[in-house]
Amino acid sequence: MNSPPETPSAAERPAITDAELLTAHINGDPHAFSEIVKRHRDRMWAVALRTLGDPDEAADAVQDAFVSAYRKAATFRGEAAVTTWLHRIVVNACLDRMRRKSVRPVADDELIEAAERETPLPDHTVEREVSMEVSAALKLLPSDQRAALVLVDMMGYSVEDAAQVLQVPSGTVKSRCARGRAKLAPILSHLRNRTDLNRVSSAKGAELRDG
Amino acid sequence: MTGDTHYDLEILAELAEGLLDVGTARQVREHLAVCDPCGELLADLAAVREVLAATPTPAMPMGVALRIDKALAAEAGRGGGVGLAEPPDWDELMRDAPWERPIEAPTRLGAEPVTPVEEPVHLGVVSDDGTIVPARRSRTRRRWAVPAVAAAAAAVVVGTAVVSTTLLAAGGDGPGAGSTGENRVAKPETPPKTYPRAPSYAMTNSGHNYSDHDLRQPLEGMFGYAQMVGGDSSDHANVDKCVSRVVSRSKLPTYAVDQGQYNGQDALIVASWKDKAAQTLRIDIVDPFNCKNLRKPALGRW
Repeated sequence: MNSPPETPSAAERPAITDAELLTAHINGDPHAFSEIVKRHRDRMWAVALRTLGDPDEAADAVQDAFVSAYRKAATFRGEAAVTTWLHRIVVNACLDRMRRKSVRPVADDELIEAAERETPLPDHTVEREVSMEVSAALKLLPSDQRAALVLVDMMGYSVEDAAQVLQVPSGTVKSRCARGRAKLAPILSHLRNRTDLNRVSSAKGAELRDG
Repeated sequence: MTGDTHYDLEILAELAEGLLDVGTARQVREHLAVCDPCGELLADLAAVREVLAATPTPAMPMGVALRIDKALAAEAGRGGGVGLAEPPDWDELMRDAPWERPIEAPTRLGAEPVTPVEEPVHLGVVSDDGTIVPARRSRTRRRWAVPAVAAAAAAVVVGTAVVSTTLLAAGGDGPGAGSTGENRVAKPETPPKTYPRAPSYAMTNSGHNYSDHDLRQPLEGMFGYAQMVGGDSSDHANVDKCVSRVVSRSKLPTYAVDQGQYNGQDALIVASWKDKAAQTLRIDIVDPFNCKNLRKPALGRW
């Protein structure tokens, strides 16, 4: 499971659910929607960044999505969780963007250069190299497969939750995931022996902590 | 199928997802039992899932979060100006205010940058039990007085304006003057909030999850944006405790403190002036409970 931990704001105000916040927003509470944004923006950002593979595009998509959610709050019926609804708006904004922009095939080295520009960090950690390779590989997939894999394999949502977000049957999510994984396998198989990523990151965390 | 005997990745992936009909699934399983290359492919497929799951998901960069907040504020303004309307530009409003000048050239130094004060005190600190301890009795109250003296000394050496509320409140005639001054210090975009106990630094509670990348960006956009936290918050004493520890290490005047996270962990981001003219800050990231550094202090910009 790779989804971020609960945000601190949620921990501070555990009594108020997302749905209550949304109702408060509809009733004119000026701070309610910011609280929703604060709770979910990291997750929405991760979904958009992984789906689009480009930070500028992802920022535009998430902004569009939150503004759209702000406007359309009254149309939320409560039959799904607020998070599902938000995810749906974000994913649709991403897919919309990909459709509108004629996606030009990009060469691999170009992708890596672009990724270097995005995050000009001096420290070349294993974690970051893997992250860059994964981003580049995901860009090679059709958008529907990419969206399914981001939700299920990267963000750790169940097939059922992903199906609700994507508004397709569970079987469709499964087959998109299967086809996507089949395409990624030859590209990412060399990372098979490096799946000790978690240990790497905690060792790094310890190093940071101990200064 | 590739050739007569092996299966391709797509079939194997469908098998793993349980998408094949019973007959085909049985055939493929029987083949897998005897075929090493196909077994390898299946392992590659499993590795894809693992690699994807292990890829870290970054937190939203502060710049993007700010952009979204601005867009939503504009949206609120459009819909009749409820609540989130664009706040006034305090820099512009305060530009010719009479207290602007003296701050640039310090004439007096506040000596209590580490603890909140109820009223102006000179060269003293407020101790745990709320009593004011004069700095000269520092030997008996070593734990508290040492950082305060160190901080005062540092302020003299650096020659930077320690913008303390003592200075401002002395010129005004009540808590109103003090709180206005406090807001000017922090360049907030929010209207003044009353500050029951004003520490000499601006404190915010953005809850933002900072990354090293964020901390290389100018901090004004992050700290200046978040709403000021009132001095009555119960966290305040904790924050003060950590700030005084940071001061004792850095010997620099604390300018602003934000309560948030660092790489997903609760953290205080303490910004102290290294060189005010050059707008360079020392940024300490400490955990809010034990005040231990979560990473090496680094330089940043305002």
